[in-house]
Amino acid sequence: MPRDKSKVALAIKALICISLGNRGPTLEWKTSHLVFGFSAAAIASYAFFSCPRINNESAIMLTIFNFLFVSVTFPLNGTLVRKSALLLIGNVIGLSWNYLFSALAHVVAYYFGESANTLYMILSPFANLIWIVSYWSVCLTVLSKSENRKTED
Amino acid sequence: MIVEILEVLFLGLAGLMMAYLVRHYIFTLAVLRWAQKGRKAEATGNASYQPTVSILIPAYNEERVIGRILQRMTELTYPKDKLQVIVIDDASTDKTEEISEQYSSTFDLIKVLHRNENEGRRGKASALNAGLKLVAGEIVICFDADYYPQRDVVEQLAKEFADPEVGAVQGRVTVLNEPYNVVTRLVALERIGGYRVDQQARNNLGLITQFGGTVGGFRRDLLERLGGWDESMLAEDTDLTFRVYLAGFKVHYVNGAECYEEAVENWRAYWRQRYRWARGHMQCAFRYSAAVLKSHNLVAKEKIDGLLLLNVYFMPVLTLLSWLICIPLFFLLTQPWLFAFWALAPISLYSFVGNFAPFFEVGVGAYLDGRRRAPWLISLLVVTFLYNIPICTKALLDLLISRASGKKSTCWNKTMHSGNGNSYIMKK
Repeated sequence: MPRDKSKVALAIKALICISLGNRGPTLEWKTSHLVFGFSAAAIASYAFFSCPRINNESAIMLTIFNFLFVSVTFPLNGTLVRKSALLLIGNVIGLSWNYLFSALAHVVAYYFGESANTLYMILSPFANLIWIVSYWSVCLTVLSKSENRKTED
Repeated sequence: MIVEILEVLFLGLAGLMMAYLVRHYIFTLAVLRWAQKGRKAEATGNASYQPTVSILIPAYNEERVIGRILQRMTELTYPKDKLQVIVIDDASTDKTEEISEQYSSTFDLIKVLHRNENEGRRGKASALNAGLKLVAGEIVICFDADYYPQRDVVEQLAKEFADPEVGAVQGRVTVLNEPYNVVTRLVALERIGGYRVDQQARNNLGLITQFGGTVGGFRRDLLERLGGWDESMLAEDTDLTFRVYLAGFKVHYVNGAECYEEAVENWRAYWRQRYRWARGHMQCAFRYSAAVLKSHNLVAKEKIDGLLLLNVYFMPVLTLLSWLICIPLFFLLTQPWLFAFWALAPISLYSFVGNFAPFFEVGVGAYLDGRRRAPWLISLLVVTFLYNIPICTKALLDLLISRASGKKSTCWNKTMHSGNGNSYIMKK
């Protein structure tokens, strides 16, 4: 139960805004954005697999991220620049995450033996998906049109 | 030899999971593409078509919420001379009867059917069948007692019946008590994915749109011809959906016909509700899978979607099985392709387990609803997704045991409503 009346009022406002229709954007589907996005994702994936400093596991996860992100984010409203920037930031986060995670795995393997590597192999896809889903969710907020924001403010 | 068997089994399961992933991906893209055409495209049916309508509200110990929906019934904008509201008091032991009678004595359109202990408490389907005998309208619409519809919901639903091919309609369910706690917020996200994207896409693509048991209606003559609700089924709504399709009719989804529900507020209630859904859905899968394949009233795409829909509650169990198989394969094999499949495991976690709306479907639904902050919780859906694995596994095991032992498998475990949603409704 909301603790104070202002929270209840906000919740009611949000529900009423939703229930009265006029919700959500009218989507401007842009095929060119999708084509650009998929091209960028393909190039990035090729680069990840070619780069010897990036391990295969990271390359696979980043490829999954790129194609998933492009296909379900680039059709939404927003400028191509904004979407491309979000994709780039996602890749930077993904690379950093994977480096940190593999570095941690190396340290753990050093102290606890090679079995720790197995743990890394098993856990890393799950850990990756958590940041992928979280980051994508936040990106949806960035791409929401400003006129829709009032419903939950 | 064992490794080869495990490999084939794992690849088969991965293929099945991919089929569901592709299905939901197509749904998401279809709804996005459809949204591009703008909201005007949403208008279907004939708005001037206003048949006589009877509303059924089954209620068992609903004193905390029954007054809310009955008050709302009196506020509906549908012509009152074409409207009948029947409350089926299913042998309640609280004040449900008293509150219903108060409304009935004040408003002529509201009638109350009382069932005594011998007749009542046999589940929702039984109560609805009892109410069906009193129905006078051409269209029968059902609401659960904890629901709170928008004022023009009847117009929105009834207009679809102008099309003679439409046998049933389904409106949209939105969570009323969403801000209450994290459980209600997660259920709200599941509902967004399930209705705003999943149901909408199935409707637009001409696939199997599901009647959800509430906020929906039927042609009375069709319902009577089909024999009403099947009291032996736990998921009487899914059962009726497939009987409607097999009889050659369609179910339409109307996104504009919104109704608020009071979502479950704790994990125990969530388990009970989802267990009932899972077991009931599995019952339907056993009953209708072959009939769907053989039906002459369904085209190929409807058959494929019907099978995927019927068997969707098996997916958490199969996902668990694929993970269990994956672990020995992981240690036994060093094939480079294995990691690619292993990388699919977390996607499966977010895509096939739980309420079966993958994270991207939920996110896009929230985006299309203009929800800005709601998607932030999508990552937490992993909790509900994992929670559904034991729920569906237990439901399957119990169902198999009851089928093997010949024991009756319907045990209606009613969801109790706290009435906390009342505080979210603005007083006039």
